[in-house]
Amino acid sequence: MPILTLITFLPIAGALVILCLPKEAEKPIQITALVSAGLSFVLSLCVLYGFDRAQPLMQFMENADWIPSMHVHYALGVDGLSLPLVLLTTFVTVLALISSLGIKERIKEYFFWFLVLEAGMIGVFEALDLVLFYVFWEMTLVPMYFLIGIWGGPKKEFAAIKFFLYTLAGSVFMLLAILAVYFNSTPNTFDMLALMHQHVNWSARFQILVFLGFYFGFAIKIPAFPFHTWLPLAHVEAPTAVSVILAAVLLKMGVYGLMRISYGMLPLGFAWFIKPLIIIATINIVYGALCAMAQTDMKKMVAYSSVNHMGYCLLGIAGLTATGFQGAVMQMITHGIITGSLFLLVGVIYDRAHTRDISAFGGLAVRVPTYAGLMFLACFASLGLPGLAGFISEFFCFLGAFQAWKVYAAVSVLGVLATAAFFLRMMEKVFLGPFNNKWAGLTDMNARELASIVPLTVMTVALGVYPKWALDIMKETLIYMINTPR
Amino acid sequence: MVEHAYLIPLLPFLVSLVILFFFDEDAHSPYAPYLGIATMFWCLVQSLVIFHQASSGAVHPWPYEGSWEWFSFAADSAGKGFSAAMPIGILIDGAAAVMLVVVTLVSLLVQVYSLGYMHGDPRFKRYYAYLSFFTASMLGLVVSNNLLVTFACWELVGVSSYLLIGFWFEKPAPAYASKKAFMTTKLGDCGLYVALLLIWAKFGSFKISMLAVSAATPGVLTPLAATAIGLGILCGAAGKSAQWPLFIWLPDAMEGPTPVSALIHAATMVAAGIYLVAKTYFIYAASPVAMEAVAWIGLITALLAATMALVAYDIKRVLAFSTVSQLGFMLCALGCGGYTAGLFHLTTHAFFKALLFLGAGSVIHSVHTNDMRQMGGLSKKMPVTFGTMFVATLAIAGIWPFAGYFSKDMILERVYGHNQVMFGLLTFAALLTAFYMFRMIFLTFVGDDRDHERHHHAHESPWVMLWPLCLLAFLSVVSGAALAHNGFFEHLVNYKLPEGLMTETLAPRLMPYAVTALVCGSIALSWFFYGRNDFTLAESLKARCSPIFSVLENRYGFDAIFLSLVAFSDRIAKFAFWFDSSVIDQFFVDGWGLITRICAELSGLFDNLFVDRTVDGFGGLSMDAGVLLRSLVTHGQVQEYLMYIAVAVSLFTILILSR
Repeated sequence: MPILTLITFLPIAGALVILCLPKEAEKPIQITALVSAGLSFVLSLCVLYGFDRAQPLMQFMENADWIPSMHVHYALGVDGLSLPLVLLTTFVTVLALISSLGIKERIKEYFFWFLVLEAGMIGVFEALDLVLFYVFWEMTLVPMYFLIGIWGGPKKEFAAIKFFLYTLAGSVFMLLAILAVYFNSTPNTFDMLALMHQHVNWSARFQILVFLGFYFGFAIKIPAFPFHTWLPLAHVEAPTAVSVILAAVLLKMGVYGLMRISYGMLPLGFAWFIKPLIIIATINIVYGALCAMAQTDMKKMVAYSSVNHMGYCLLGIAGLTATGFQGAVMQMITHGIITGSLFLLVGVIYDRAHTRDISAFGGLAVRVPTYAGLMFLACFASLGLPGLAGFISEFFCFLGAFQAWKVYAAVSVLGVLATAAFFLRMMEKVFLGPFNNKWAGLTDMNARELASIVPLTVMTVALGVYPKWALDIMKETLIYMINTPR
Repeated sequence: MVEHAYLIPLLPFLVSLVILFFFDEDAHSPYAPYLGIATMFWCLVQSLVIFHQASSGAVHPWPYEGSWEWFSFAADSAGKGFSAAMPIGILIDGAAAVMLVVVTLVSLLVQVYSLGYMHGDPRFKRYYAYLSFFTASMLGLVVSNNLLVTFACWELVGVSSYLLIGFWFEKPAPAYASKKAFMTTKLGDCGLYVALLLIWAKFGSFKISMLAVSAATPGVLTPLAATAIGLGILCGAAGKSAQWPLFIWLPDAMEGPTPVSALIHAATMVAAGIYLVAKTYFIYAASPVAMEAVAWIGLITALLAATMALVAYDIKRVLAFSTVSQLGFMLCALGCGGYTAGLFHLTTHAFFKALLFLGAGSVIHSVHTNDMRQMGGLSKKMPVTFGTMFVATLAIAGIWPFAGYFSKDMILERVYGHNQVMFGLLTFAALLTAFYMFRMIFLTFVGDDRDHERHHHAHESPWVMLWPLCLLAFLSVVSGAALAHNGFFEHLVNYKLPEGLMTETLAPRLMPYAVTALVCGSIALSWFFYGRNDFTLAESLKARCSPIFSVLENRYGFDAIFLSLVAFSDRIAKFAFWFDSSVIDQFFVDGWGLITRICAELSGLFDNLFVDRTVDGFGGLSMDAGVLLRSLVTHGQVQEYLMYIAVAVSLFTILILSR
């Protein structure tokens, strides 16, 4: 059974079904969306079940000719690097869809685009052919544009077009790099696995150029300083569930690309860029946290905290160590889970209060204890409290980077401090202190909100207390990546 | 029993979760507290058994270690990745055995006491859940055999103190204080974090027993690395144990419920820093510089905090400063090579400091104020509280045969052997201790009542609060003598420093007597100023030395430094965001957009004005040509057309034939 294809295209099938339904049939549309995404999630769990953790190479591979004249294949596969991300995508998408049940307008288009988006994201992580990779990569762009541009906030059009153009600019360079790789490989191929062995024929200069082409595409997605400014805007304007997907999955495509393609195919280019990369990582961490500190809008604060947290991924990668890689992949997963729940939680308060201004609240912990509890947990997880998911991944990133870059890693620790500062200040201003009577009518979380957030909270605790099973999935592949002679 | 020591942190942890999730939020339901207390009682019993086994030498091998795999992860060695295991487990040595008893005992008594103190609080059950969690984190820190797990518990101690200091979060002050405590300790933790990274880089392991062995192996740990690691750990310890210059959070932390203060000051939070330094003593043994730094930080703190306590009027703040000062004593002892002395003082101090806080809580419970200026003469109204607190004060002042005498004596002896200047300064701090502690006793319990209204309503606390006081008073009397008897404590809790690390000078035999005499003099002085119901002398002194007093009341300006640091970082954050939104985003990114648009406009213009015009021009040209040609054929006669055809055909024919 081509299980990866099923995982990827079940959402598309759901989207097509939705397209055929009349737009008044809101319930069937929602059910179709949930069922197709849910099935996709279940299937990805089946892959996890059948996944051999001791095996570092690609598994569940599928391969078929697609455009034979150009040697383009339809090739899918997962290993310890991509499987966790596929799982994250299917898991978070289901929860985001649950939270989207509150969407009231243009339901049909919303769920249609959402499912197309999911297929694109899953495909990026599974593709083993550069053309296929590029197609999936671009496939995420259009749904995102519509999801922000139609269901977003007051400045949604501007945010959507900015997001679209900015990322498209990056992808153009990526496309150039892909073509460069194709024409310089013997025999000409887009096969990512085959391309991993081509670098011996490539000069350092060529590798650096190609690296920069790819890096431009990935850095915008990650987002790495200074290409990050589309992110706060897009997050603030996007509807809650789209913010969740954006932070939890879409950013990871950049880091994934960096690890899979830049590191795997272009060792010389990567080695050349390693110093700038550690500097960028440090800037992302410290500067992102500082920017978050200056925010008054909760959502924008969380958005900047994403810049900070993706910096940890870069930090781990820049160490070029197995520990650092482990930290980076783990950080992608934990950031997806934690920041996903943070965005959902901010959405909960915004739905009720129609404001996200930190200083507009006060003392809410008395009025909405469940909400406050979940928010506290998510915030503490995000600031790296041990026992919750963020700590281990963050620590591995530091541990991996420290072996190569002592000073940069030590400076980056300041980012951890600043992260604590802005989260604590937010908690104090919103939840503690005298109760602001303006919010006397505030209600605690409802069943739909709980259903979308509690699974993430559970995962946050589970991964923090017992990270073993998550680490085991990725461990062998990452060790293999580091140990492959280059 | 010792092989099941993991239960000691695990049970309270589970119980805190059970209380949090399965009990009703009911201010009068006794089940949550009873569950917490019963669990802690069990932990105490188990700790006592372990303590007994450890002290009688029944545990083999000693120190006992039990280790399991927590997870395994990708690690590196010489550029090669491999799968490394991260252990989680228990390490019971002498210090851990003692700390287990101290922590569980104090926590148990605090929980019992809280039955009375917190009665009727709307978040009663959550209070107990937090207490259990707090204790569990501390116990985990005590027994863990892995520095990473220790650090994890360390942070959990921090977060539970955050929850408990800010327990009455509806008031702004506790909310602020809890944040301040968390941030200040986090600042110190940055150093500890880097120290952990260094440890991994140097040793490739976090397992304490392994680290201790490697650190003692020559050539593994360079003095420079040991110093860096030691100073990093010291940063963390200074944050948690409220040492200079990070002690600013502790006075504010008094906003929490008083039993929590007792727990923080006696057994959990602040003890953690001292304990961590002791736990990683093998690092300090490899670095005399770090050792010296520990000693001086401790000494400076002991002195500064003692002077600040001299002028405080809030009874809890006096006690808070006294804790800071006493922790300084311990750290100083550790830095002077007095491993045993530092931990001994940690133990005895736990008993009398818990007692002092619980006693202060009893007073506050009764008169509803913290301000000692509104108290006075309470000894008649609250005889048990007064009696027990008096015992604790004698103990902390270091009067024979109370517990503090033995431990303080051991510290001073040790410090004398290391550095006599330090000894002099530390003795001075000890004299200050006696002075301000008796000032507190005099102001609170002796003399006339200064606020009749409050005095009138004052009453002794219920027995559920009093008997923990009595038990602690008993321990404050006997624990010192009992543990010091025949070198029992020294035998159990010891660390053999490598030869030649510390210069040894034996203190003169008369030293304890001399110190005691000076302490008595200090107490007499305190009585002279505050005990005679006549404060004119104290007032005139205050008036004459008002600059000094205001410096002390402002805590030497360290709070102001902290606040300006916060303001500074806020300003940097504002600047960073301005830079981000204005320079990077609006200027560069949107600037690119603008440039692109201008280019588009220009090319549009070019297109319209030049390309299109050219095209139109060609169109016009062909039109003109058409018009011109049309003029040739104005008549429209068939003969004319035929003629043109004939001419054309003949021309072509000539052309073709001529080739």
